Amino acid sequence: MTGTIGQSSTPDNMSGAATSSTAKPFRNAPRQRFFEFKKDIPASWSIILGISVWVLFFGVWEFAVWQQWANEILLPGPTKVLSALYTMFADNGFLNDVLISVGRVMLSFALACAVAIPLGILMGTFRTVDAFFSPFVSAWRYLPAPSFIPLLLMWFGAGDMQKLSLLFIGVIWFLITLIVDHVKSVPADLICTSVTLGGNRWQVLRTVVVPASMPNITVAMRQMLAVSWTYLVIAEITAADAGIGAVMMRAKRFLHVDEIMAGILVIGVLGLLFDFLLRQVHRFAFPYLEGRH
Amino acid sequence: MPLDDTILTANNVSKVFGSKAKAVEALREVSFSVARNELCILLGPSGCGKSTLLNIVAGLENPTSGSVSLDGALIHGPSRQRGMVFQGYTSFPWLTVFENVEYGMKLNGVAKPERTERAERFIDLVHLTRFRDAYPNTLSGGMKQRVAIARTLANEPEILLMDEPFGALDAETRWHMQEMLLEIVETTHTTILLVTHDIQEAIFLADKIVFLSANPGRLKTVLDLEFKKGADLKNKEDLIALPGYLECEREITALMRAEAGKSDGDD
Repeated sequence: MTGTIGQSSTPDNMSGAATSSTAKPFRNAPRQRFFEFKKDIPASWSIILGISVWVLFFGVWEFAVWQQWANEILLPGPTKVLSALYTMFADNGFLNDVLISVGRVMLSFALACAVAIPLGILMGTFRTVDAFFSPFVSAWRYLPAPSFIPLLLMWFGAGDMQKLSLLFIGVIWFLITLIVDHVKSVPADLICTSVTLGGNRWQVLRTVVVPASMPNITVAMRQMLAVSWTYLVIAEITAADAGIGAVMMRAKRFLHVDEIMAGILVIGVLGLLFDFLLRQVHRFAFPYLEGRH
Repeated sequence: MPLDDTILTANNVSKVFGSKAKAVEALREVSFSVARNELCILLGPSGCGKSTLLNIVAGLENPTSGSVSLDGALIHGPSRQRGMVFQGYTSFPWLTVFENVEYGMKLNGVAKPERTERAERFIDLVHLTRFRDAYPNTLSGGMKQRVAIARTLANEPEILLMDEPFGALDAETRWHMQEMLLEIVETTHTTILLVTHDIQEAIFLADKIVFLSANPGRLKTVLDLEFKKGADLKNKEDLIALPGYLECEREITALMRAEAGKSDGDD
């Protein structure tokens, strides 16, 4: 009996709720608030907000120059920096310096990866290899790479070798450490599966450990490539006759702040570009990760 | 049971983890055997060392003493003769369903035409034909386990080892998987050694239940499930309706409770 009462009263309530909501159709539409905890926002919002921050930045900059808050030599406006950038590329052969810098980063980073990836995989897989190398790697990790600059200058002079070795030292220890961690986190069950399917040591390494850790290794490479750019600038600023950092130091001597800023801009754009490229590599090399969050 | 019918034998297997001061005895002199084409279940409360025992059979761990032999030959380390399906999902995410199933055969140098034929046959067997080229992360948990089963069977092991293979699945999927496993046994006549702590699963699947007691794991009893002999079980309902089923479940539950009471405070 109570069941029937309950049933008869429920539709009443439901229809009551339905009529009230049809009467005021827009009252219940969720209103998007500007500050909402951890909620996704519409794509248009993120584009507009993302652009606004740059508009604001350049606006404040231009305003500061216009108001002459600082000496114009020390603080040229954004347009002046852009025109300096144009002149550098068009008349001063800046492209050549950019290519030299990019080449240094690429070559040293490729060398670092060529050592760090195989070594990191072996250290992450075999405890014996780890026990042998890890005290060595950890010790080097705590030595700041720039402290080697005087030594490298004495050994190799101010040439390419000095830059390449600084970038190599600056990146490799952290790269190894990151890769070792990623390889160690390959699930043991995957390895056991391969082994009980008849996989020998080399097969397990090649068909399980490497493919399982490759996506994260690519992420580690992306992170360390950014660090590599940092050391490039340090290397080129201390002693170099070509490259982006060298051009910036020369500009400093002639008080060309616009050129220094143009150099910073180029380094920033290059960093973004390389990050984007490695992100694309990640997407295309590991299609099976798509759609997983 | 005639001697030549036995495929796997465990002889006084003991396992102690750790060294003297902190030694934990997981298994003490466990002996049992599995007959060819038999579905044998290792059942027992948590802490009875059943997974350890299975790992020893797989060769992933070494017994402290005792031995395991397959077809009369002592086992040393893992091999494709003893393929294993784990509780966690072990499909390789970078390989498609087909490539996953093909994987073991590739390791063992099976020629491509045969590999393809066998992989497709076993994908059909676990009803994943439509998902042949899908990546595992687009599949449900039950489907991932089916990939693992097909992958191991396609590799033609002498015995299929399963470590709580349906433990991570929800109840309904678990029934389907259990029913599918019986279907597979019917068509392939694979010998299976399966570890579980689910009593109903054990009774439903088993030809024989090896029951272990806890702390340390010892052989308590071997149940032959006489009431099931000759019955054609297609699904869970058939089993529950079978005379003798409740008796059996009650008996095993009592065994389990006695053991669990004993190991209070452990694990």
